[in-house]
Order: sequence, then C-alpha cells, then structure tokens
Amino acid sequence: MKNLLMIGWKTLTKPSGYYSLGALVIGGFIAGIIFWGGFNTALEVTNTEKFCISCHEMENNVYEELKTTIHFSNRSGVRATCPDCHVPHNWTSKIARKMKASKEVWGAIFGTINTREKFLVHRKRLAQNEWERLKANDSLECRNCHNFDYMDFTEQSERASYQHSTALASGEKTCIDCHKGIAHQLPDMKGVEGW
Amino acid sequence: MKNLNLASIAGLMALVLAPVFISFTANSADKAEINTLATLRDHTEIDVQKEPNRIPKVVNKDIKQARNYPMQPPIIPHTIRSYEVNKNNNKCMSCHSRQRTEESQAPMVSVTHYMNRDGNFLAEISPRRYFCNQCHVTQLDAKPLVENTFVDMHSLMKQKTTSAKEH
Amino acid sequence: MTINRREFIKANAVAAAAAVAGVSVPAVASNLITSSDITKLKWDKAACRFCGTGCSVNVGVMDGKVVATHGDIKSPVNKGLSCVKGYFLSKIMYGKDRLTSPLLRMTNGKYDKEGEFTPISWDQAFDVMAEKAKDALKKDGPEALGMFGSGQWTVQEGYAAVKLYKAGFRTNNIDPNARHCMASAVGGFMRTFGIDEPMGCYDDLEAADAFVLWGSNMAEMHPILWTRLTDRRLSAPHVKVAVLSTFEHRSFDLADNGMVFTPQTDLAILNYIANYIIKTGRVNKDFVNKHTNFRLGETDIGYGLRPEHELEQKAKNNGKTKGSSTPISFDEYAKFVSTYTVEYTAKLSGVPEHKLEALAELYADPKIKVTSFWTMGFNQHTRGVWANNLCYNIHLLTGKISTPGNSPFSLTGQPSACGTAREVGTFSHRLPADMVVANPKHRAIAEKIWDLPEGTIPPKPGYHAVLQNRMLKDGKLNFYWVQCNNNMQAAANINEEVYPGYRNPKNFIIVSDPYPTVTAQAADLILPTAMWVEKEGVYGNAERRTQSWYQMVKAPEGAKSDMWQLVEFSKRFNIEDVWPEELIAKKPEVRGKTLFDVLYKDSSVGKFSLDEIPEDRLNDESRDFGFYIQKGLFEEYASFGRGHAHDLAPYDRYHQERGLRWPVVNGKETKWRFKEGSDPYVKPGSGWDFYGKKDGRAIIFALPYEPAAESPDEEYDLWLSTGRVLEHWHSGSMTQRVPELYKAMPDALVYMHPDDAKARGMRRGDLVKLISRRGEVQTRVETRGRNKPPVGLVFMPWFDASRLVNKVTLDATDPLSKETDYKKCAIKIVKV
Repeated sequence: MKNLLMIGWKTLTKPSGYYSLGALVIGGFIAGIIFWGGFNTALEVTNTEKFCISCHEMENNVYEELKTTIHFSNRSGVRATCPDCHVPHNWTSKIARKMKASKEVWGAIFGTINTREKFLVHRKRLAQNEWERLKANDSLECRNCHNFDYMDFTEQSERASYQHSTALASGEKTCIDCHKGIAHQLPDMKGVEGW
Repeated sequence: MKNLNLASIAGLMALVLAPVFISFTANSADKAEINTLATLRDHTEIDVQKEPNRIPKVVNKDIKQARNYPMQPPIIPHTIRSYEVNKNNNKCMSCHSRQRTEESQAPMVSVTHYMNRDGNFLAEISPRRYFCNQCHVTQLDAKPLVENTFVDMHSLMKQKTTSAKEH
Repeated sequence: MTINRREFIKANAVAAAAAVAGVSVPAVASNLITSSDITKLKWDKAACRFCGTGCSVNVGVMDGKVVATHGDIKSPVNKGLSCVKGYFLSKIMYGKDRLTSPLLRMTNGKYDKEGEFTPISWDQAFDVMAEKAKDALKKDGPEALGMFGSGQWTVQEGYAAVKLYKAGFRTNNIDPNARHCMASAVGGFMRTFGIDEPMGCYDDLEAADAFVLWGSNMAEMHPILWTRLTDRRLSAPHVKVAVLSTFEHRSFDLADNGMVFTPQTDLAILNYIANYIIKTGRVNKDFVNKHTNFRLGETDIGYGLRPEHELEQKAKNNGKTKGSSTPISFDEYAKFVSTYTVEYTAKLSGVPEHKLEALAELYADPKIKVTSFWTMGFNQHTRGVWANNLCYNIHLLTGKISTPGNSPFSLTGQPSACGTAREVGTFSHRLPADMVVANPKHRAIAEKIWDLPEGTIPPKPGYHAVLQNRMLKDGKLNFYWVQCNNNMQAAANINEEVYPGYRNPKNFIIVSDPYPTVTAQAADLILPTAMWVEKEGVYGNAERRTQSWYQMVKAPEGAKSDMWQLVEFSKRFNIEDVWPEELIAKKPEVRGKTLFDVLYKDSSVGKFSLDEIPEDRLNDESRDFGFYIQKGLFEEYASFGRGHAHDLAPYDRYHQERGLRWPVVNGKETKWRFKEGSDPYVKPGSGWDFYGKKDGRAIIFALPYEPAAESPDEEYDLWLSTGRVLEHWHSGSMTQRVPELYKAMPDALVYMHPDDAKARGMRRGDLVKLISRRGEVQTRVETRGRNKPPVGLVFMPWFDASRLVNKVTLDATDPLSKETDYKKCAIKIVKV
C-alpha cells in the first residue's frame, strides 16, 4: 500500500518525459474545462428548485406554502424559484452561501426538521437568518428583480407609492423590513421589529 | 300569370302572418323573462346556467368608503393577499396598531378594539377582536346584482331639516 | 314632504330656540345636525337574523326605516360584537326587488302551471290556494298536503304552522329546512340522552382548557363564538385548540393541532379516542358505573336513498330496525373499540399518529377541561347520528360533561333551529317539547292542550324534507307550501330529485319569501313576505337561549309575515272541509267553525287582548286579528314544556331580558343541565342525572366506521364538499342583496389544491365544470383562497344562486336522522 502511494507520488512530481509540453498544456486545459465545467454544473444543479425540493422538508413546508403566493403565481408569469431569493447571484457570495449550506445537508441527514412540527419549532430561527442576510445586503435578492430605479410609482397603490418614494428611496428601509412573509408563512412574530 | 298569382298570394300570406309570428315569439320571450324572476340568477331558467363571469379583482385604491352608519366596520380598501392573521402574527396590526400608525400612516383600529368583554381597556388589542376579517372585508370589483334602497340616516335628517326650514 | 301638526310645532320650537341662542337652524347648508329630535334614533333589541349563535343586536330606526345595527353590549352572547353580516343587517330588508304582491302563474286570467307570473290580490291568492288544498284533500286525503318550513321561522310561526298542519289539516307532512342542518344532532341527543339540545352553554367558552372542533369552521360560521374562543385561547396560554376537518380552513389559523382527515374517517378517530382512554386507564369508572349504560348499535343501515338504489338493495339493516341496539358490558365495548388502534386509524384517516395521540390525550387527561364543538361536519353525514353518539361516548367515558368547560357542544346553524324547529317540533315526526306523533300518550297531551278531540293528530310520521321532494316528483304530495327557506337552491340533487317535483303538473307549489329566490322561480304561487323586525317574534339559539323582539318597522305595502299568512289562510277552511264526520262528532261545538276559530281565536291562543301590546309598538298581525297573537301562540306553546324540563319564562319577560336559557324554573335560567346544583331537574344526591332516560343513565354506543355513500373512483376522482362562507347567510337571498357583502364574496368558486389544478391543466380563474353522476355546475377555479383543500378534495360553497352546486350533490342521507350528507360525493372537474 505504502509502495503504491510512493509510486503515485513519484509519477506526479517527476517531470514528464513522455508527453510533449503542448499536449500537456492542452490536455491540462481540457481537463480544467471538464473539471471546472463539472464543478459549475454540479453547482448549478444544486441551484435549481428541483434540487431544493428533492428534500421533503423543503417540498412539504416552504415550497407548499410558496404555491399560493404572488411569487409563484401572478399576472405576468415571472416567478421566483427558491434560489432566486435564497442564493446570492455573485460568485463569491454564492460559494460562501453554498459552504454554509453544508449545515443544511447535515440537517437533512439527521432529520432536524423532518416533520412539520419540528420545522415549525425551528422556523423563527430559520426565518431570522434569512431576514438578517437580506437586511445586511440591502435586500439584494429582491432587488435583482425589483429594481428601485425602474419602479413606476403611478402604477402602484397609493400606500405602496408613498412608502416606496419615502422610506425606501431614502434608504431608511430596505425591502425586507416591510415585506416579510411574502413567500412563506411567518413564524411567531413576537419581538420582531415592525410587528 | 298563374305563377304570378301564386307568388302574390304567398306574399300576401306572409304579410298577414308575419305580425302573428312576431307577436308569438315576443310573447314567449316575455314569458321567459317574467318567469325567470330569480334576480340573483339574472333571468336564467333553473335547469340551465349562464357562463360564470371572471373572478373580479380586489379593489386596491386605498380610498376610504363612507360608512352606512357610524358603527359599521369600515371595509378594507386594499388587497390583503398573503396577509396572515393567525396564532403567530397579525399582519393587519403591523400597520393599524397604535404603535405602528405613525410609521404606516394607516388608520388606527377603533378604541373599542382595546376593550375586553367587560368593557375594560387593555394595553393591547383585545384577543376577542384578533381576527380582523370577521368584520372587515375587502371589496371585489363586481357590480351588485340587485340595487339596495337602504337610506342613510343623514339623508333622512337632511330631508327633515329641509322640510323644517320650508315650514 | 308632509309634516303633521306636532312635528310642525316641534320644528318651530327648534327654530325659536336657535334664534334665541343666536345660531342658525341646522339645515342642508350646515354639515352638522345637532338638534336632538332630528338626530334621535329609536333603538331596540332584536335577535340577529342569521346564524344559530343568537347574538343580540341593537336596531336603530328613524322615520320607519332601519338605519343602523350593531352588537348589543348588554347581551351575554356577543357583548357588543357582531360579525360582518350582523353589522350589515340594516340593509337586508332593502333589496330593490322586494316582493310586494302575490304572483300567480296565469294564462288568460286563470291559473296555469305553465302560465306567466301575474300579480294578484291576497284574496285571490288565498282563493286559489284553498281551492287547490281542498281538491287535494278530497282526492287523496291529508297526505297529499305538505309544508316545508324553517329554522328561521319565529317560534310563533313554527307553532302556528304545526297546529295548522298537524291538527287542522291532520297531516304530519310538515318538516323544516333544519332537517338539512341538525336533524342528526337531534338524533344523537335523543339516542344518547333521551332529551334534545346541549347540556352546556356558551359559558363553557371561558372555562375550557381545550377546544376540539369536529367538522365545524367556527371562524366563518359562528364568528362571534369564535371571538370568544379566540379570546380564551390567546388570553390563557395553556389552552389548546384542536381542529379537525376534511380541508384546511380559517379555523386552522388558531389551531395548535390541525388535522385534515379523509372524509368519513371521523368515525374511526372517535372510536380510536375511546380506545386510547380505555387503554391508558383513564376511564372515569365512578361516573361510568353510576351514570351510563353500554349498548351495541345496529350496523349496515344503508344511505337513505330511494329503496331501489343499489346501495339500499345491498344494505342489510336499512329497515325498521336500523336504529335499534342491544345492551352490552363495558368489557364488550372495550373489545369493540380495541380494533381502532393508532396505526389503523392513522392509516385510514391520513392523520399522523402523533397528532391523533395529542388529540386523544386532551380528552384522556383528567386535568384538562375539554369542550367539543361540531356543526355540519358531523350532522351532514350519512352516519351523522353515530358521529354525535360517538362524541358523547368520549365525554361520558371521562365524565367530562355538564360542568363548566366540559362540554360536548352541538352548534346549530340557524337562528331558531333550536327554538322553532326542535323545541316547537316542526318536524314530520315531532310535537312540541320533544314529544313524537307516533306515541299515543304524546298525541293525547297535545290534543288536550289544544282542546281538540282524541284522534285529531295522525299517528304516522309524515314525509321528511328529502322524502317530500321525492313524493312531489312521484306525484303523491300535491299541495305544497314552502316558507322561509330556499330549498330549490339548498336541497341536494336538484336535477333529479328537486326541480321535477316542483314542476310536476299534478302539484301546486306555494313559496313565501321576501325576495324572488330560486325556489320562488320554481313555484306556482309566490307570496310576498315580511321579514325580521317587520314583525314580532321569538328565536331560540344553540345554548337554549330564548330571545324576543318587537316589530320595529312596517313591512313594504303588500308583504305579510309567515305567521299572518298561515293564520289568515286558516279562515278559508270550515272544520267540515278538513275533518271527517266521526272526529267532528266527538266535539260537536266545532261544527260550522273555521280553522281560524278552532285553532287560534277561540283556543288559548286568542286569550290575550290587544291592550297588552304597548301603545307605541307596532304589531300589524295582532291588530289585524284582534288579539295579541304572538303572546297567545307563545304561551300556549310554552305550556307544553313547563314542568317537563323545557320550562320557558312568561312571554313578557323575554321583552325585558337579553334572552334566558331554558329550563327557566322559578324565574332562574339553567346553564348546565343534568348536573346537580345547576339543573333544578336533577334528583338531589345523584350528582349527575340524565333524566331524559328513565333510569337517569346516558348511553355509550358501540358503533363502527362504515364508508361513505359515494367515494371517488377512477372516473369521478375527487371528493366534493359544500358549505357556507362568512359573508353570506345560507343561500345568499338576503346577504347577496347587501352590496358590501356581495362585493366581499360575489361568486361561489371551487377551491382546489394547486397540484390538483395543475394535474388537470387548470389554473386560478379557469372556467370549469364540476360533474357528478347527477349533474354539472360551472364555476371558476380558486387555488389560493381562504380554504385549502388537500389533493383529492375540492370545496364549493352553495350561497350562489347563479351557480347551483346542489345540481351535483347526492341526496344520500343518514338513515336515522334523514339529514343529507352535503360534505361527500364524487365528482370530476373538466375545463369548459
């Protein structure tokens, strides 16, 4: 066993005497593409709603709740999938979020929220995590679609246009401050600011 | 000549009979109309059905509607889609509670909502008033099928003051 | 605008006073009117017109019009609250299409079944009615006459109708729409306790530690009781709420334990709870030994369909013995329920085991005071009486009954389902005070009170609601009067079993209603009817509370109350027209008299003079008949129950009180029946006394789970449940005419799970057809409304006259109670 490893190590460290440099570079490049592509493909697979709801924790709780909301079914048919709101779009944040998600894998394996009741127990903490994240990034995932610059206040209800042109415009508030519980049911809101 | 005669006879008959036909069809239409008097069915026989209209939209104009009398619960002039009112939270109160109205500029719930069953005031909205939608409802953009002739007390009073002045 | 002398003087006085004070008279120009005699409203109390909660409302009247309504602060029921319907009561009488003239189908000035509705006078209307009734009597005897009444009739109206039909016309073919609503509750009470109506009262709402809702969406159907339950749940954190239904609805918003079960499996869940109580050793043995008996009930009793239906052919025991039972021991009972294990029940019902256990524990834990509420989920059930019985079992096994907070509580739907339909006994088999026509002693008591000869009341129970429709179709029931309900919209299987009977050429159908309803449209003669505070009346609510109100406004010219119609119509019959000679011979002094004389004027009904009516009160009927008829009818009716555990207070007292809960003994109401100390009828020293049964013991019944009449299959692949909504009362004939209520909920949609919609290529708003083996109805899809059905079940409310969901439903009934199961049938849904 030890010998086998040594042979492998030596092969890797020894300069190539068989392949041309060109072949090595091109081969390495192709391998790199395959590897990187594979990684990204894998990443993208985990970034689909289908993947998210392959766990019944997600399908039976949050996804089921999403179905009746405006982010699922609406006038124009533009709908938000899980990652649209819950996975950052820029690469570094995305990778950071994915690393954090390893905890969710752990949770799935050990059944931390594998019943509705268990899920409800944890719901407040889970929601708070998301609210904090969105608060910290100024509701970035909301703004990926709902761009303040292009809002037509005259098309909004009086109430909405008032709030958007004052509190939101001044930066005093961010989307998530008012729009909690728009895609999923809310936890017990005792002690939450604004409730 | 013979043909012409036949044609003219037929024409004459048509002239004579036409009003009869017309009045006959008019009568049966009237009868159907008179006999389908269930206003809420909009003149439809019981064994048939009119095509159901589209689902109307919720009126979302934020314009207060006058109440029919002071104790009438105001209607909700905006959409409440996905607004939860349940054991965990009350979305309505996140704008309409006393503490929230300054920021939200929404009307505060009536003071009666702070009273318990015995009429004592509580610090928070009374749990008996917790489910807002038992009294407050949104309005859909639908035209009532039947007019309502209810007269508001103010109109009655104005009539009286007018007549008092005239005398 | 005319003004009388008194008003003129008053107006001048105001002007003079104003001149002295140096202000101008409040007038059109001013936007604030402060003169008190102009702004003054006359306020008075009335029972709400809608549900069985029985809220008291204050009604404000100005210039002969109702101008405001709000919850009565003095009423213990609602303490100042109303639901959205109650707040809009002011507008229910003012739909523009109020009927003001009788309408008869006529051709060339003569009645014609196929003719056009033509306005006629009341005299002409009664002429043709009398002619048709007498024809039917002559041809086929009293059984050809019938009436369909209401749990929204006042007590007096129901009583006048019972007397006219059972004693006057001598037929028991009178039944109320309450048959659709709580006949199973009655059956349950009579079977378990031998006496009708809840032992508890609404005070249980403030005393219980746990509430279990069995097929009751109180949040929408009993909103004010829901405010009390919510108050209790949110102010006392230890309180738990369990909600069971076949779909998720608004009551789940407060649920600590919400359970959606497969239709019909509530029977298994109930038996499982009993099994759990026994298995965990929490039977209250002392209570069970002293106060209960065990019996094994008959099974396989059919589904109340027509006898030739294959389900009835298959059923073994749908004959006379279907309600029978045999005594068993506790051990035999324990063995019977032992098959309802948590595993079996969870599998059958689809409710997870831990939820079932949490539910059962609420009942089993001796420290938890538990109140069960149910309404149509139990009652509109082909095993409705059983479901009621099985729920009592649980409360009896644990002794959790008749004490504050421990209450199996059957809620009623209609404002006087208890007061009128049940207590007065407007059912085809009943007489006042829980008595039945089949019992010769009971008939004798009624005949004695009515001062009529022995044998007046026929012994055979008449046609019940569903049977009436079948008999109309079959041409056996030919003179049929419908009052205060909208059965063409409310009855199941309209196409096959309702509409054909109304349009059967052999039959003459009269419909009394304030508005032109679907039922009115199917009638031959329509009578314009006064409603609610346009007449004086009494209602009895779900907690045995009897409430009265005065007439406050005049009805539109031409409209007359149901009671006036019944009593006035009785003048058209001489006793010789309706009674056989041998009966008249037993009481010759009635010879030559009219039914009006015999049943009303010369009986004890007629003994209160007009002087007893306060002078400033309206009372159109009494002033027309010449005696205080509402009081006379009430007092005569009350004499049935006084001294028999149904005691009512003197009539006048109800005008002073916000209602009283019977039995009212020595001027005191009764909150909890059957319990020593709170119920004066309980034998001293007994603790509990279920005195409706001879031995004072209530019965615990062994009854199994049996499947529904119709379940989804490959072709008809969905369950359909129907029901009400918050904003509309029953068929919507009043509330759909209130613009605010109409606009809050204009159309009946079909509520379905988004996945069910998707699987059929449908989306919200799509025009679809609900199709059953009996008919179809079109509506639009709602996938995100207030009701959230599970996959495999849809819900459609029945308030919408333009979308008659009852064309689809099945007229299967509980064979014991004859109540229709509106909650279960199989349908398919296709896109139009």
